[in-house]
Amino acid sequence: MSFLTLTHLQKSFGPTKVVHDFNMAIDKGEFVSFLGPSGCGKTTVLRMIAGFETPTGGEITINGKDQTSLKPNQRNIGMVFQAYALFPNMNVFDNVAFGLKVAGKPKSEIEARVKEMLKLIHLEHLADRYPYQMSGGQQQRVALARALAPAPQVLLLDEPLSALDAKIRVSLREEIRQIQRQLGITTVFVTHDQEEALSISDRIVVMNGGKADQIGTPAEIYNRPTTRFVANFVGTLNVIEAKVVDPAASTVEVGGKLLGVYGSLAGREKGSTIPLAFRPEAGSLLPGVSDTSALNGTVISSHFLGSVVRTKVDIGGSMISYDTFNDPSAAAPVAGQQVSLALTPESLMVLAD
Amino acid sequence: MKRLWAWGALTIGLLYFFLPLIGMTNFSLKMRRGEYSFDAYVKVLADTRFQDTFTYSVTLALCTILVGVFLVVPTAYWVRLKLPFLRPYIEFVTLLPLVIPAIVVVFGYIRLYNTSSWLPLTGTALGTDILLVAGYTMLALPYMYRAVDTGLRTIDVTTLTEAAQSLGAGWITIIARIILPNVLVAVLSGAFLTFAIVIGEFTMAALLNRPAFGPYMQVLGANRAYEPAALAVIAFAITWGCLGLIQLVSRFQKSAQRPV
Repeated sequence: MSFLTLTHLQKSFGPTKVVHDFNMAIDKGEFVSFLGPSGCGKTTVLRMIAGFETPTGGEITINGKDQTSLKPNQRNIGMVFQAYALFPNMNVFDNVAFGLKVAGKPKSEIEARVKEMLKLIHLEHLADRYPYQMSGGQQQRVALARALAPAPQVLLLDEPLSALDAKIRVSLREEIRQIQRQLGITTVFVTHDQEEALSISDRIVVMNGGKADQIGTPAEIYNRPTTRFVANFVGTLNVIEAKVVDPAASTVEVGGKLLGVYGSLAGREKGSTIPLAFRPEAGSLLPGVSDTSALNGTVISSHFLGSVVRTKVDIGGSMISYDTFNDPSAAAPVAGQQVSLALTPESLMVLAD
Repeated sequence: MKRLWAWGALTIGLLYFFLPLIGMTNFSLKMRRGEYSFDAYVKVLADTRFQDTFTYSVTLALCTILVGVFLVVPTAYWVRLKLPFLRPYIEFVTLLPLVIPAIVVVFGYIRLYNTSSWLPLTGTALGTDILLVAGYTMLALPYMYRAVDTGLRTIDVTTLTEAAQSLGAGWITIIARIILPNVLVAVLSGAFLTFAIVIGEFTMAALLNRPAFGPYMQVLGANRAYEPAALAVIAFAITWGCLGLIQLVSRFQKSAQRPV
């Protein structure tokens, strides 16, 4: 049975509907990320779980108990904010102890729990510091410890890494995931950063226009996007036009070459044109013209991006990107060079609109 | 040439401001013929009426500060948190005491709360004191509200509130343990201004016939020569002391919130 369940959740601000019939079941101990662009409704859903927004319709249950009408301070949900939100008048110890003091825990228990939490985030030595005396990364770790101290049922993370610099973001997200695994706490993480979501989630909910476009594991979301929006939002995507040859056998034609595609073409008319998508790292780019099923093209440009070399190729009038790891011993493709791109059926996706 | 004009204007301004004060202080020290002395001050400070009226006004000032804090902090906080569209209206209301003369307000009080009204507050000393504190709170409202509102602007009220709520805190805990301590310096600024206003206030206390410091200064001024000057210097010292304390706590706040 699911631990956190969102059923037909809806939210409107005046005449504007920002969340449309959102459904989701999250298991105990699962780490789920809400991923989407600004204004897609991900933070609104999170705030409804926290109790800061009242749903216009639908139900929120945690461990089988209805939370929809409970006040935020009655839900026992920990939350970490983008802006840290540490209490400026309290030092680290008092910040972490706040929830325990509010709950009326005995002093000895508070002390032990705070020490445990500070050990968890490796900041035992900064217990006497005030928020203004710490860096952003340290403050966010304290905010995490503060949220975890009262042992909440669910942990909500509202873009907690957005205000940090790139290196700290990576290390802190790994730390968050490791702590989450260690405590086994059910976690909902909101982000607009696909790399963050892909790297730390058990499942990702890609949101668009107040709805969940796709829910799946990071690999499913990246490799098998079901909509054009998900495919475009998560990672880079090449889209070329293809003509349906045999819907039953899932074969299409591109530039006179027959290709098999992943998934069913049922419902597509023979001879109709469909958009065919693939990732820049899919397939292999070979020098010279091919008379097999590989697509022939001309290199337009080649860009060195450090660990990756991105090559722009013109295939029958469609511009595609091809990424390969940087190999110092191999020469990068040059503009005007004839190449062929071999794609496997698994790498070719037919997207629903 | 421009600098010369600036210095000239400054000198005239300072003379205009300080000469009467110097003259008054000089006069207050001349009670003993032919030499400077603190006789006038000693006489004023030894006067039981001074002690009584000053104690009375200090007590009422403290009550006014308490009422002001309990009224203004939750109001300003709630307006910032939940009703931001009401801010211009609230600001307008808090400015009204600056444009409505105290004498109009006190006559309104007397008419509304006289002994034959449904709430006869003027019928007892305690009731009149309550009325006076209400009047003082109103007079201090523009200063207290602005001070607290400015303090609230320096913190992220919404996020701090939500963080405290997610940790199980209710409204009273949030205001008492998160909001108030973080705007304490602003509240203290408002409190010192309130104190200065109440100590010098005359109209309301006189018309409600209460033994406050303002009416005492007026009575003394009408009947004595040197003592009123000494009293005026003491009143100035109290006011300036309050202003100095505002500066001090403001500086304390600035140093406490310095970034890393």
